[in-house]
Amino acid sequence: MSAPSAAAGGEGRFFPDEMPVPAASAETMGWWEAAASHRLVVQRCQECGCTRHPPGPRCPGCRSAAWEWLTLAGTGTVYTYTIVHQAFIPALAGTVPYVVAVVELDGADGARLVSNVVDAEPTEVSVGARVGVVWEDMGPELALPRFRLASAGAGR
Amino acid sequence: MSGGRRRAVVAGVATSDYPHLPHLSEHAVHGQAADRALADAGLTLADVDGLATAGFFPMYATGVAEYLGLHPVYLDETNTGGSSFEVLVEHAAYAVEAGAAETVLVTYGSVQLSQMGRRLGTGGGGGGFAPGPAIHDALWGNTLVGNYALAARRHMHEYGTTPEQLAAVAVTMRQHAATNPQAQERDPITVEDVVSSRLVADPLHKLDCCVISDGGAACVVTTAERAADLRRDPVYVLGAAHATTHHMNLSAMPDLTVTPAAQSGPLAFARAGITPDDVDVAQLYDSFTITVVLTVEDLGFCAKGEGGAFVEDDGLAVGGRLPTNTDGGGLSACHPGMRGMFLIVEAVRQLRGQAGATQVPDARVAVAHGTGGMLSTGATLVLGREVP
Repeated sequence: MSAPSAAAGGEGRFFPDEMPVPAASAETMGWWEAAASHRLVVQRCQECGCTRHPPGPRCPGCRSAAWEWLTLAGTGTVYTYTIVHQAFIPALAGTVPYVVAVVELDGADGARLVSNVVDAEPTEVSVGARVGVVWEDMGPELALPRFRLASAGAGR
Repeated sequence: MSGGRRRAVVAGVATSDYPHLPHLSEHAVHGQAADRALADAGLTLADVDGLATAGFFPMYATGVAEYLGLHPVYLDETNTGGSSFEVLVEHAAYAVEAGAAETVLVTYGSVQLSQMGRRLGTGGGGGGFAPGPAIHDALWGNTLVGNYALAARRHMHEYGTTPEQLAAVAVTMRQHAATNPQAQERDPITVEDVVSSRLVADPLHKLDCCVISDGGAACVVTTAERAADLRRDPVYVLGAAHATTHHMNLSAMPDLTVTPAAQSGPLAFARAGITPDDVDVAQLYDSFTITVVLTVEDLGFCAKGEGGAFVEDDGLAVGGRLPTNTDGGGLSACHPGMRGMFLIVEAVRQLRGQAGATQVPDARVAVAHGTGGMLSTGATLVLGREVP
């Protein structure tokens, strides 16, 4: 098994160029803008303080529409993960197997992010493993947070 | 379902031909299932004043109405994914009990398998992602199977569930499919076959995943009074409920081991005036083996975390703890995009004593439970031979 690694797509690249691109909405634009400058954020409700992801206009806890961006350290814990052996995006046919993980983000009150663990053999990943963000620049305005195992020296 | 004068019943059910229908359009599959369900009830399209169906396009039901030549005064195309048909029958029951319609036809049709073949060679397959929440999966290469695998891994971590326990679900479904001449896959399999089949999204193997089929199914919902003159003994809609916990991204799912069935199940059972112990036979959406393990827990057939042990040792076979998916399920018999309608057809056949080799003796109460999206929706329908 090989893992998506920086060597596959050049320095700092893990996934191919031919990936889908997001269509930003009023709520998600700020998240993509923060990501483009390599800042990992989640929404925090200004009424009850609870966090949420993906971005949306109202707090699922108290329904308040008042919210702010909470900037995170970029570290977290693997809540669960899968090793994808059959990709449904043709461009990823040569990237399998790769790890899709749900990461519980530090300092985010339980908010989780579906992302990847890269630069590791898939068999090294485990539930509970500590991870740190690594940013992949997919284009001039699009960067995606993926994660490395903390044991690999990433994430601060 | 309510205590009112009019009581909703299922008066006719049918499946279309399946699992491979390259000669039929999607609408023609609806038509075949609809004609057969109406004939089963002893009715015709002329008796239908309500239509309920769901597909993958807006204004879907109006297209089916036009194809069938119907001008219904009750129309419903609520789409909750795979659980849509349990919701549509729940709504149809409310409608006939309220007098908004007399006879509601609920249909589904799909040629997903044949369409896949037609798309081969186009280079497609990466398209079709919704610009909404699904993009939060696609950008990271997550897949539909991947989402269920994420739930399976978490369940294994928290409760020690094993790949072999998940595999037991697939093995039992295949045993049931062997008795169903229409089933897509009928050759017996073992736990070892499942866990040694190709990994699609670890920990889910190919044989942990449903088949991809063409097919459709339909039922007729009317009042007990109307059904008294009809061909079949009516099956009563005793209670129903549905729920959702998130849309399409698992970041927003509060607990990956708890599905919306934990809400819809107890509510439907309370409305029906039953407990899980009263259920004789279950038809549970089996998109993946893990879906069934989570569902038996959330519906209260066993405690949270005990689903793996519950499904082992023929727990889901006829004669087991909870005879489930007696037609072979989506894992082996037929999974045409959305399977919810098939669950209802098989539940009704069990209650009528028409289930053949997998008939549960004297089945009086059946549950059909659909799961839709990425474990996003759940809908529970309690059906019975008599009013309790």
